[in-house]
Amino acid sequence: MVKEECKALLDALSRVTACYRHMVLTIGGTSDSQNLREELKKTRQKAQELAVANRNKLTAVLKDKAVSKEDKAEFERLWVIFSTCMEILEIDMRRALELGQEFPLNVPKKHLIQTGMSGGTSGVAARAMSVQNMKYEADNNIDVVDLKDLENEINQVGEMMYEMEMKVNVPQWTVEAKQDPGAELKSTISVGASSIGMISVENKSFCDISKVLAGIIFSAVLIIAIVLAVCVVKLS
Amino acid sequence: MLLGLLQCRPVGSSGHSREAQPPPPPPPAGHSGLPHPGKSLPLTAAAAAAVANPGGPVGRRKGHPWGAEPSAPAASGGCEFRRPVVGRAWDGSFDRDGIGSAAGRMERVVLSMQDPDIGIKMRNQRLLITVIPHAMTGNDIVEWLIQKFAISEEESLHLGNLLVKHGYIYPLKDPRSLVLRADDSPYRFQTPYFWTSSKWPATELDYAIYLAKKNIRKQGDLIDHEKDNYNLLHKRINHTWDFVVMQAREQLRAAKQRRKGDRIVIDCQEQAYWLVNRPPPGALNVLERGPERRNCCVSRVQLPENADYYKREIECCRKGVGRARVKSSVCLEGYVKFSEQYMPHDPIMSGCLPSNPWITDDTSYWAMNAPTVTVPTKLRVERWAFGFGELLADALGRRQLLEFLKKEFSAENLSFWEACEELRYGEQARIPHIVDSIYQQFLAPGATRWVNIDSKTMEKTLEGIKMPHRYVMDDAQMHIYMLMKKDSYPRFLKSELYHSLLAEAVVPPETKKRVFPFMRKQRHSSPSPALLPPAGEPEAKAEDPTKASGAPAEP
Repeated sequence: MVKEECKALLDALSRVTACYRHMVLTIGGTSDSQNLREELKKTRQKAQELAVANRNKLTAVLKDKAVSKEDKAEFERLWVIFSTCMEILEIDMRRALELGQEFPLNVPKKHLIQTGMSGGTSGVAARAMSVQNMKYEADNNIDVVDLKDLENEINQVGEMMYEMEMKVNVPQWTVEAKQDPGAELKSTISVGASSIGMISVENKSFCDISKVLAGIIFSAVLIIAIVLAVCVVKLS
Repeated sequence: MLLGLLQCRPVGSSGHSREAQPPPPPPPAGHSGLPHPGKSLPLTAAAAAAVANPGGPVGRRKGHPWGAEPSAPAASGGCEFRRPVVGRAWDGSFDRDGIGSAAGRMERVVLSMQDPDIGIKMRNQRLLITVIPHAMTGNDIVEWLIQKFAISEEESLHLGNLLVKHGYIYPLKDPRSLVLRADDSPYRFQTPYFWTSSKWPATELDYAIYLAKKNIRKQGDLIDHEKDNYNLLHKRINHTWDFVVMQAREQLRAAKQRRKGDRIVIDCQEQAYWLVNRPPPGALNVLERGPERRNCCVSRVQLPENADYYKREIECCRKGVGRARVKSSVCLEGYVKFSEQYMPHDPIMSGCLPSNPWITDDTSYWAMNAPTVTVPTKLRVERWAFGFGELLADALGRRQLLEFLKKEFSAENLSFWEACEELRYGEQARIPHIVDSIYQQFLAPGATRWVNIDSKTMEKTLEGIKMPHRYVMDDAQMHIYMLMKKDSYPRFLKSELYHSLLAEAVVPPETKKRVFPFMRKQRHSSPSPALLPPAGEPEAKAEDPTKASGAPAEP
């Protein structure tokens, strides 16, 4: 029960981290906009909430002496995953700060790098926040205003990680991965709801459209040919 | 050459609009003395950095401070490019990867390319169905660089290549070859997150996530070196491997939320980033051989180029010209002579007799060459003839010299010299005492061992004695030293004493190598002297080296 909850929380955190990383990638490029900065802020706050929830749950479990050995090993594995996730999140936050400072949006002299991106990141943000559509309600200068908050939050995350290191004593090298190399391939094929499955489905659908078109044209030609033949037969 | 230094190129054509594109300005007539700037020269990153740094101070280039190399007509940065760095304020900050570093300069070039008016012209990249904007041809890049910095095509190509190799621009058609081609091969800018920076090195974790994503996308069909890296990483960061897989999946799912065109761009960007940061084996790793790391002591504040600055530079040049130089041929000759003379005496080059103690555990070599041995070895005595310094440096030699000087009634010179050495290297607290004793023994009129110093030095020394310090006897000591060297030393070498020493000197025979290998003494490390009883020192007397040769000494 507790394990499933922990796993679910961790999955959520991982999802939000991936989305955050994706959004930080676009700072400074042509997809950068005030909306992006707002999305970054919201995602980051959500990530922090999840992180705190994860930490509380996992520390409670790890401190619990009544947990069996295998369970403890499992929770330690989850703990290592959690701390790695936090490391990545912290690094991304720092980079977001640096990039945000380098590429302010409202300065006419500073131009964004023409990276070739043309679409927005609202889909990614919606996935991170687990909503259908994103609502944007921030001011026009959030790119500058947010930087202060970002700095504070980075410090907070740093402190949290330090506390985690101090309070919970899980040596990382004792944890063994459950997955073998190449595990991501097996599960993707089997589960089918994962990325490769969906990408291939999409590709197939894409090819299907052209195939369908070709089929329609062919059958139309065939029908016309049959009709003409029938006419010829009928008339002659 | 000095003239070429202070000549300035006109400030570069940065104000040109898109339409009026004049050809790059020809090199001015003043440069006719130097070889044509169009010549190929190994443009270091310093040059590129100078080029990319209009008007800013530039770090010193390797080699001559003033360009003995003909510099290509660099733009507004051309003057500083050739001047020595003297007089530049160093604000003490080690500006690594800040604006002052080469990476920072490359970033500035890329940023200046983004300007919609004077930046680079963008085209659209047309894939099968999707159209992706913001592509540029290699030719565009080269042309723009030529025009912006007023440099030659070769230099511009080199600069563009630097940008591509460091990952600021990546090729679209042939992503694995990070080379700038001056034709219509398409290129695109890299997103700032993926710019190479030493502050944010590419981590193993990120690489693992990238490989996992690639594995998923290509259904396990990775390139060889990527497969190896994948397995290696699986072992190395095994504890977070589950996280790697999770994160790879999540990142792919997040990417799906974007348009197809953007997804393609993201894939290309990531691929380019990892090609730069984890190059395939055999490819040039730019991160190791980065732009020349001079001291990034380029301050952000530009020094005011007023009269003072130029005065200082002129002074520096003048001093430099006046400096005495030794021809390298002369230096090398001296070096060769020294090596030839000392080669037979070098235990590593010519072996040492009786045997190398480190190999045979036979310490007789050290015993025979100890400072207080009665019969010196022949090599040692020969070495005394090389120079006066050698004779004085050897304790035994000094003693023999003293004997000789006693016969000549000039032994006080050597004693005086030794006393001065004691003063120079002795305890600070005893200095007044030593100076006093020296004075009493050697310098006072009517002293027992009065040394013969010329009047000027004597006056100076007597003055100095009133305020004694460590170096007060330096002049007198030098005088006596030169006296001994010029006068007594050659006579010593010709003397009977020396010749008899040479004749008596012993040549230790080489330790006999036992014929049968199993009879040879096995090498083993000596036990720690802390364990040994204090008695049983190795023989200090080298009277019978034959004993030493036959049976290696027991530790």
